[in-house]
Amino acid sequence: MPLDKSVLERTFPEFEFRVERGKIREYALVLGLTDPVHTDLEAAKAAGFDDLLAPPTFVRQFWHENPGNDPMPHLGYDPKRRLHGEQEFEYHKPLVAGMNLKGRNAIVSTREKEGRRGGMMTFVVIETRFVDEAGELVQVARRTLIETAAPPKEA
Amino acid sequence: MTIVIEYAKWEELAEGTEQELTVGPITRTDLVRYAGASGDFNPNHHDEIYAIRAGFDKPFAHGMLQGGYLARLLSEWLGPDSFKNLKIRFSAQAWPGDMVICKARVVRQYEEAGERLVEIEASAANQRGDVLIKATATAAPRT
Repeated sequence: MPLDKSVLERTFPEFEFRVERGKIREYALVLGLTDPVHTDLEAAKAAGFDDLLAPPTFVRQFWHENPGNDPMPHLGYDPKRRLHGEQEFEYHKPLVAGMNLKGRNAIVSTREKEGRRGGMMTFVVIETRFVDEAGELVQVARRTLIETAAPPKEA
Repeated sequence: MTIVIEYAKWEELAEGTEQELTVGPITRTDLVRYAGASGDFNPNHHDEIYAIRAGFDKPFAHGMLQGGYLARLLSEWLGPDSFKNLKIRFSAQAWPGDMVICKARVVRQYEEAGERLVEIEASAANQRGDVLIKATATAAPRT
């Protein structure tokens, strides 16, 4: 299915969330991070952080917690042909527990390309900018979502 | 007792310096835990019937699980707050039972605008040598 181009005109509302200690610990433990700055408050403070430090890929969980805030479900992509092609993070300030972040999603680019086995592949880049209470940029995440030309077994 | 991790210092990170981390084998429990931790409940990562109907042999790992393992290697090597950017490109799926072998290498050690930086190239492969992800990062390690 071709990209639903009307989604490119849409803007998505800002969303707010508090960065929680328990969620940081859970994320660190799943990945097997042994660095105690993610799990032990004393260690985090000894290392100069105000609270537990989020692992580098942590903001991933906030992209689409509410479908109204996120372009992804509105792209018209067939979920069976949707791939996460690339993921980029830009780091501006340490992300620690207790911060109240505001995020906003936007589609920053789209392109179509002929697939290797024929059919069109669609690439969409969604950027999420996260700012703190002072309005300062904390992190930027960019995900490239691909709709492949055909389901894997039919290719 | 508080564990303190010693991160590599910029001075020690000459071009060609390498670091490795092997994780796995990935279990289905890892996939479910990652879904819960990340909020990504795409059924391809836990629902056998859904995944098979979508054309896969079975559920497979979220790309960001391998991405997270690779970020763990970089974070525990260079320091968790040293990153300027991290860019991950996904090439192949990791399946339950697979090992994830992460490797990273300093490709550039330089100073810019008064900051001491390194550029890293990294990848994760399975036990058969198939590349799962490739990544690049810029970091300002401790000096």
